[in-house]
Amino acid sequence: MTALETKEICFSYDARRVIDNVSLAVESKEFLGIIGPNGAGKSTLLRLMCGILEPESGHVALFGQSLAGQTPRLIAQQVAFVPQETHFALNFTVEDIVLMGRYPYQRPFGRDKAEDIEATDQAINAAGIVDLRKRPVNSLSSGERQRVVLARAIAQTPRILLLDEPTSHLDLLHQYRIMELLSNLNARGLTVAVVHHDLNLASLYCRRLVVMHHGKVHCQGTPGQLLTEKILNEVYGTEVRIIRHPDKDVPQVFLHTEGQHEDRQ
Amino acid sequence: MTKTALIIIIFLAAIAAGILVGPAPLESQILQLRIWRVVLGVFAGGVLAFCGCLLQGLFGNPLVEPYTLGSASGAALGASVGILIFGAINPALAFLGSLGVGFFVYVVARIEGGILRDRLILAGVVMSFLCSSLVMIIMVMGGRELYEVLYLLMGYLGTIIDATNRTMIIALIVVSLVLAALLYRFHRELDIISQGTETAASLGINIQRFSLILFFSSALLVGMTVSIVGAIGFVGLIVPHVSRLLFGPKHRFNLAASFILGATFLLFADMLSRTITVYELPVGVVTSLVGVPFFIYLYRK
Amino acid sequence: MLVSTRKAILSAGLLVLCLASCAQDEKKSHYRIVSLSPAMTEILFSIGAGDKIVGVTTFCDFPEETRNITKVGDFSHPSIERIIGLKPDLVIVNLPEQSRVKRELEKMNVRTFVSSPASLSELYSELSALGAELGLQKTADSLVSYIKDNLQAEVSSEPKRVYVEISPRPLVTIGSATFLNDLIHMAGGVNIFADLDKDYPVVGQEAVITRDPDIIIVLHPEDITGRTGWQNVRAIKDGRVRTDLDPDHLMRPGPRLVRGFKQLKAAIND
Repeated sequence: MTALETKEICFSYDARRVIDNVSLAVESKEFLGIIGPNGAGKSTLLRLMCGILEPESGHVALFGQSLAGQTPRLIAQQVAFVPQETHFALNFTVEDIVLMGRYPYQRPFGRDKAEDIEATDQAINAAGIVDLRKRPVNSLSSGERQRVVLARAIAQTPRILLLDEPTSHLDLLHQYRIMELLSNLNARGLTVAVVHHDLNLASLYCRRLVVMHHGKVHCQGTPGQLLTEKILNEVYGTEVRIIRHPDKDVPQVFLHTEGQHEDRQ
Repeated sequence: MTKTALIIIIFLAAIAAGILVGPAPLESQILQLRIWRVVLGVFAGGVLAFCGCLLQGLFGNPLVEPYTLGSASGAALGASVGILIFGAINPALAFLGSLGVGFFVYVVARIEGGILRDRLILAGVVMSFLCSSLVMIIMVMGGRELYEVLYLLMGYLGTIIDATNRTMIIALIVVSLVLAALLYRFHRELDIISQGTETAASLGINIQRFSLILFFSSALLVGMTVSIVGAIGFVGLIVPHVSRLLFGPKHRFNLAASFILGATFLLFADMLSRTITVYELPVGVVTSLVGVPFFIYLYRK
Repeated sequence: MLVSTRKAILSAGLLVLCLASCAQDEKKSHYRIVSLSPAMTEILFSIGAGDKIVGVTTFCDFPEETRNITKVGDFSHPSIERIIGLKPDLVIVNLPEQSRVKRELEKMNVRTFVSSPASLSELYSELSALGAELGLQKTADSLVSYIKDNLQAEVSSEPKRVYVEISPRPLVTIGSATFLNDLIHMAGGVNIFADLDKDYPVVGQEAVITRDPDIIIVLHPEDITGRTGWQNVRAIKDGRVRTDLDPDHLMRPGPRLVRGFKQLKAAIND
C-alpha cells in the first residue's frame, strides 16, 4: 500500500523552481532515504509531503486522500515531522515538549487525558530519555534535544514519520542511537522517510533511496543499485570510491582524493 | 500551588488598597469612585498584561507588547482624533485606530502565501512612531485638549463615570473579558509555537489563521482598553516576564497569571499615582517609574 | 438699570477717546504691532490701537476685526519667520509661555513688550506702560479706571466655596496663580483649590468631593450633574452648577473681565 504519494508537484521560492514535477510514492512501512546534493530540493519536498508547504501544482495524497482536503490537525494525526534543528524560545521541560506531540488529539480547553499521558510516557521510554524527563530542554546537548524532538514526534503516534537530516551536527554515538531508534520504530510498522546528507548512514539503514537533483527525482532504488561511482559523480559532481561495509553487505562511499578534476585546476 | 496562593493574596491586597487608600477619607461617595477605579484597574491591567503575554508568545519575542505592534499607538491616535473632533474620547475611533494600524502593519508584513513575522514587528514599531507624530500634531493644534490627550497617552484610571459612558464602559469590559477568556483556549498553541512555526504547522496548527486571529483580537482588546483608560505603557511588557519567572513557560499558567499580576501591578501603580502628589498623575507615569527599576532588579537577580 | 446706563456712558466715552487718540497720533499710524496675546489684542482694540495690529495668533478671536488680521501661529507656537515677515515695530509677548519667542526676537533686534499679569494691579501697570509705549496714555488710563471702577471687591463674611472646572478628562481646575482665582475672591467666593500654587492643576474627583463646593462653575460643554460619586456634593444637590459663564470673559485679563466679573458675582451671590 502507498502511504504517501506526491503527484507531479511543483514548488518555487520567489521565481526559483525548487521542486519540479516530482512524482514519488512512499510505501507503507518502508524506510526511505532521500539523498542529493545541497539545494536539490530534499527538505522542501519533505515539507510539501506533510503539508507545511502547499504545492503550486500537482497534489500530495496521504493513504489515497489528498492533503488539500484535510485539516492540518487530521494530517498531524497521521504524519509527524522532525525538523533539522529546533530552537526552543521558551525553556519547557522535556516532558512538556513531548506532551505537545499530543496536540492534534486535544480539544481547546480540554485537559490532558490519560491516553495523552500514556503516549507521552511511551514516547519518552522509546526515545531513551527517561532520565531527562524533568530537565529543562535548554540544558540539554544537541543530541539529547534531537531525541526529545523525536520523542515528541513519537508521542504524536503517527503512521508516517518524516525527518530532515536528523543526525547532522551529532556525534557518532548520537547518530547511532537516533538511527537505531528509527530502525526499531520502522520494524514495529512505522513508515519512515529521512532526508540524509550522510550517504553511508543512509546506505546502512534505508532500504530504498531516492536521489534528488535539481528539484527532480534523478533515480530511485536500493542502496546497492544507486550508490555507484557513476550516479554519485553525475549528481554530486565529484569522484568517489565505493567499498562494501564490513558488517553489512551495503555500499559505503568515500571521496576519491587522487585525480579530482577541480582540485587539480 | 503556594505561588498561586501568594499572587492571589497580593491581588486581593491590591484591591483592598485600591479601595482603602486615597487622598480623601472613605465615605459612601468616595467608595463608589474607588470601586470604579479598582474595576478599571483590574480590567486594564489584566487585559494589557494578558495581551502582552499573548503577543510575546505568538511572536516568540520578549520585547513585543501592544505598543510594539502599533495597536496601542493607533488606538491613542484614534482617540485623540475623537477628542479633536467631538471634544471627547470616542471608543469607535479608538478601535478604528487600533485595528486600522493593525491592518496596515499586516499589509506591510504580508507576502504571498503568508505574513513575515519579523517584518510584522518592524512595521509595528514604525507605525507606532508615525502615530505618535500624528498625536503630537493633534496636541499642537488642539490647545485646550492638550491635557486630555496627554492623560490619554499616559493612561488614567480616575476618569469620570456618568450616565453618558457608564453603560458603554461596562459593555466594553464585559466584551473584553469574554474575548480574553476565549483567547485563553489558545494556551497550547502558544506553547507549541515557541518551537518555531514549522513545528507548529507540523503539529496541526494553521499558523496564518492563528496569527491573524491573535493579532487582531489583541488589537481589538487594546483598542477597547485605550478607549476607556488611555494607553498605559509597560504593563504589557514586563508583567508577562514576571509571570514566566514565577510560573515557568507554560501559557496555561502564564496567560492567567499575567492577567492577575497585571491587574495587581496597575492597582498599586494607581494607588501611588493618586497619593504621592496633591495632583492626579497619569498612571502610566507611575507604571514606568516603578516598573523600570523592578524589571532591572528582576533580571540582575 | 443704573449700572447699565453707566456702562453705556463709559463705553461711549471710551469710543470718543479712542477716536480722538487715533486722530491725535497721526504720526504713529504706520506703527506696526504683532500681538501674541489674546488679552492684549482685546486691550489694543479698546484703547484704539486696533488699526496698528498687523499680526495676531489664532487664539485672538475678539473683537470681530481680528478675523482679517494675519495669523502668525497659535498661542504656544507662533512662527518667528511669520512675525519677522510682518516687519513689526513692536511684538507683544506673553510670559512665561512665549519666553523662547521673546529671546529669538530680541536676538534679531525686534522690540518686545512683555505681558504677564499675575494680579489686577500688575495688569493696571502693564496697561499704562503699554499706553506710554504707544503714545496712548490717556485712553489706556481711562481703560484702567473703567476696569478698576467695575471690579470692586465684595466683602463677604461667609465666602461661598467655588469649584471651577475647565476640562472634565482629566479634571482641570484653577489654582491660586490665576486671575480667575482673584476674581472669585473679589466676587465674594473662595476657590476650593486656592491652596494649590499653580495655574491650572489637574485634580482628582476625590479631592473635589471632599472639598464639597457650594457652587460649581463649568467652563466646558459637558453635563456634570449625573456623575457617579458626586450625588452628595452640595452644589449638585442644591442645583448650583453654572454652565452659562463665558471662559473668555473670565480668563482673559482684558476689558471683558468687567463683564465676566459681573456674571461671576451673579453666579456666586444669586
